[in-house]
Amino acid sequence: MFFKIAIRNIFAYRKRSIITVILLACTTALLVFATAYMDGSHGRLIQSSVEIYPGYVQITHQGFRENPSLENLIFDAAQVSESLQDFPGIEVLTPRFESYVLFSSAEKAVGGMFTAIDPEKERQVSRLAASLKQGSYLTSTDQALVYMGSELAKRLKVGVGDQLAFVGTGADYSFAADTLTVKGIFQTGLFDFDSRASFVAKPYFDRVMAAENYATHFIVQPVRPAEAATLEVAIGQRLGAEYESASWQQTMAGLVQAMRVDSIFGYITLAIIFMVIFFVVMIYTLLVVYARVREIGILRAVGTGPGQIFSMLLLESVLLGLVSVLLGGLIGGALAYYFHINPIVFSGFDEQFKQYGLALTAMPTDFAPLVILRDMAVMFVLSVSATLYPIFKVNAFKPIEAIHHV
Amino acid sequence: MFRTICRIAWASLVRRSSRSVLVVVMISMSLWGLLFMEGIYDGMTEQMISNAIRSDSGQLSLFAAGFREDPGLNRLILQDGQITDCLAGDRRVKSFVRRLRQDGLAATAHYSRNVMIYGLDLATEQRHGRLDTYLTQGEYSFGAKKRGAIIGARLAEKLKVKIGRKLIVSAQNSEHEVSAVALTITGIVRTNNMALDESAVFIDMGKARELFMTPEGVTQVSVILQAEKDIPGVQNTLRRDFPTLEILSWDELYPALMQSRVLMKGFNLVMSLLIFGVAGLGIFGVMLVSVLERLREFGIMLAIGTSFDQVRGIIFTESFILGFSGFVGGSLLGGATLLYFYRHGLDLTIFGEGLEEFGMDVITYAVIRAQYFTTAFAAVMLATFVSVLFPLRLLKKANPIEAINKA
Amino acid sequence: MNKTATDRAQGASVLMASCALFLCCLCFMPASLHAADDVQEIIKRVEDRLNGKTAVLTLSMIITTSRTTRTMKMDSYSVGNEKSFIKITYPGKDYGITFLKIKDSMWQYVPRIEKVIKIPASMMLQSWMGTDFTNDDLVRESSISRDYEAKLIAENNDEYEIELLPRPDAAVVWGRLVMTVTKKDMLPATANYFDEEGALVRTLQYTEVKQMGDRLYPSRWVMTPYDKEKAGNLTIIEITEAAFDVPIDEEYFTKRALKRFSD
Repeated sequence: MFFKIAIRNIFAYRKRSIITVILLACTTALLVFATAYMDGSHGRLIQSSVEIYPGYVQITHQGFRENPSLENLIFDAAQVSESLQDFPGIEVLTPRFESYVLFSSAEKAVGGMFTAIDPEKERQVSRLAASLKQGSYLTSTDQALVYMGSELAKRLKVGVGDQLAFVGTGADYSFAADTLTVKGIFQTGLFDFDSRASFVAKPYFDRVMAAENYATHFIVQPVRPAEAATLEVAIGQRLGAEYESASWQQTMAGLVQAMRVDSIFGYITLAIIFMVIFFVVMIYTLLVVYARVREIGILRAVGTGPGQIFSMLLLESVLLGLVSVLLGGLIGGALAYYFHINPIVFSGFDEQFKQYGLALTAMPTDFAPLVILRDMAVMFVLSVSATLYPIFKVNAFKPIEAIHHV
Repeated sequence: MFRTICRIAWASLVRRSSRSVLVVVMISMSLWGLLFMEGIYDGMTEQMISNAIRSDSGQLSLFAAGFREDPGLNRLILQDGQITDCLAGDRRVKSFVRRLRQDGLAATAHYSRNVMIYGLDLATEQRHGRLDTYLTQGEYSFGAKKRGAIIGARLAEKLKVKIGRKLIVSAQNSEHEVSAVALTITGIVRTNNMALDESAVFIDMGKARELFMTPEGVTQVSVILQAEKDIPGVQNTLRRDFPTLEILSWDELYPALMQSRVLMKGFNLVMSLLIFGVAGLGIFGVMLVSVLERLREFGIMLAIGTSFDQVRGIIFTESFILGFSGFVGGSLLGGATLLYFYRHGLDLTIFGEGLEEFGMDVITYAVIRAQYFTTAFAAVMLATFVSVLFPLRLLKKANPIEAINKA
Repeated sequence: MNKTATDRAQGASVLMASCALFLCCLCFMPASLHAADDVQEIIKRVEDRLNGKTAVLTLSMIITTSRTTRTMKMDSYSVGNEKSFIKITYPGKDYGITFLKIKDSMWQYVPRIEKVIKIPASMMLQSWMGTDFTNDDLVRESSISRDYEAKLIAENNDEYEIELLPRPDAAVVWGRLVMTVTKKDMLPATANYFDEEGALVRTLQYTEVKQMGDRLYPSRWVMTPYDKEKAGNLTIIEITEAAFDVPIDEEYFTKRALKRFSD
């Protein structure tokens, strides 16, 4: 009964209905898309900075994070690998050994990072291999072949195929030195990283740096990166007190917070837009119900209770709200989905991202149905509550007053 | 006549008071939100830019050719006397400072770290970039004997030092030998210019000259101008006069900051459009309904000889009153809010680490620009004007006689 | 993100050549203990004993960390603390690595890569984790004798106890040094290094005094650090042969020497 009347009214006041629906639908779409974009870009920013090199979960020897000395290395890398073999949730586990050496080319001597990696596994945990610029990436059997950052190569004035020497300190504090050949040059876009990092295959490194079965840390690629934090805790329990594990949320706490700040400001911005929309919806509802004051007065005069009228008007706004939110959700969801598949490309903002230590310009939106539903629910509540005041207001008229209302 | 129009307009607004109030409140709230956002967001970007300019780049910086790629004491600006003359004589220049920088090492009995040592003059830095305002601990002084050092906050954390502690600073001098000096930490600064906070050791220019064995020359001259618009002009003058030097503006030295500013401007524009668009829609609805409701009324007015211009005047006036009241309300609210945040700042200490990552200050002071209000005024007026155009056309098309007979 | 990586890299590293570097300086450290008045005389004599105009030494260095013990042997030739030449003779893997330090410039030759590398100043200035010596030992100049003010704080039948306070403008990280000198031989027995807050940072002990060359000389030096991070660390230097004030071929202090005397 109410339902029919409500539907009839919605069609009778077509203009108001259309404008309300358009407004609400657009806002819902905006909210859904804005959230998708924000979450998506934050996720992407974090993902890219995590995946360029630091990794989702790090395992170190106890005390290493506090005091990264050769005393606090992982001295039995094989045992760590073994105890985490088939550990649920781990996709890949790979050791690294980071050291600091002096590189010397014909031109110059420059200090830099000299890191051992397992080239095949590393491919799955970081973007090193994908950042190849010239030459080629490492293989695990490479001897004295180095894969170095583009800026470091520039500082040393070496190219692919050129030779350079390094001197450093082995894991046993011995002198280590050898002549290397540049196999490949990579560019992640992170200036600082590109100007100091270089990589060699771990078997070679172990021999020349006396680091057999040692590692400074392990990197874990989770099956589900979103669950890195829980995985980290589980790994920590398995390995015991001798080792420490840390998820990217811990190793990159600043970035996490930065994203949170950005979200907060995003939501403040959205809230301001909502406030405006809220008022507009309220105004339109007010206009419509006032136009019907007489009609309502007559209804009251013929015995319809205020409660019934309230329900009828509320039902109208509920229906309108529902339609708008569904429509908006669909549009916003479709946009979110589209840009999830085809990321938005920002050209010209590389500098800014680089300054934040990020190297990417394509931003996919996040397509999360649950979040979309949440946003739709928020919009629905908002749209219905915007109509409450006008409905109360009109219901407050006495029937006679209402009939004579001009 | 004008008074009559106003009176009629006012009367009809009062008749539909709740509706009118709603529209005014809506405009006020939108404007309030918009002003708040603009002021705070601009405050954030401008603070980042100002930090970079004040603590390092100035609006223009002069370097010896090649210094930026490969800094060293062999790449000094030696003609700084001429530069001083040139800058001091240029009215567009507000202030400038000369700095002498060299990479080195700072050590305590327990720790040591690579640092950037800056020889500078505190008094001119104070006038130039108000370096003293960045001081978080200690005092803005190198002490009577100039043996003090003011260091970056993060560096102080890493070295685990406090005010009054001894710091041994060593660096390669111009003779390619390592020289060292014992300094006492007199101050700690947080500029939120990450590079400085992490590795800057500011020492007295005279001490730096001794330490580096560079009796003359500087590595950087940082210039702040009276007005930002003069940057290209002064840059060209300097380039012409000193062709061997690299003369860069702040946005060339910190391109990301310029991008932030452009991005923020675009963002604010989109937001303004969006908000005023929606608000305009609100006014439009109200005006449309109020014209349609009063078709009969207007019909009578026209029939008894009121000119259409007068009717139009009434409608415009109504719309103007709504818009203007909203503008005044919003401006007062927004202005007061901005004034509060301009004075006290928006404190986001709880997100300190995250803000630092962006190189932002923990406390953001809002910016208040006359332009916010003028733009908003124009936008509100435009919205009120545009929103009555369609109702007016409807009115014109409607035959007054028909209108009278209607209903 | 690079911050962690960088910190770690620096941390995990031990500065190349650190051992050799610190040797250059270590030999001359006690020479700096210079003072005024009565105490000055004591310090002066200690200095003269420890420091010849030239020195040719054969020595072992035993570096103990909480994890390993490692021994290195080397020959050292030096004139004042202006010039020194060092050749590693043990372990065999490192045999022939040579270092040349002239004033503050330093070169290293590594036979394996047949290359002379000039160690950049920035690298020389790096902190060296893993050894028990701070960069301060390295950075100090020949003017160390100016750096401390000496005061006799205690005396018994066998020893003087001397407190050394850095002069205000001296570029030393220590807040205070306390040194004991044996009366019989006029040789240092221990030197305690304190930070500004008065905490003991490290102790250097001079033991096993023997006749070496023309003089009595402490042949075993033990450096114990007390920083929390260096718990369990110990560096011992054993001087097996020594000749003082003998002429040294100037040829040692040229870059050619790095390669020439490497074999």
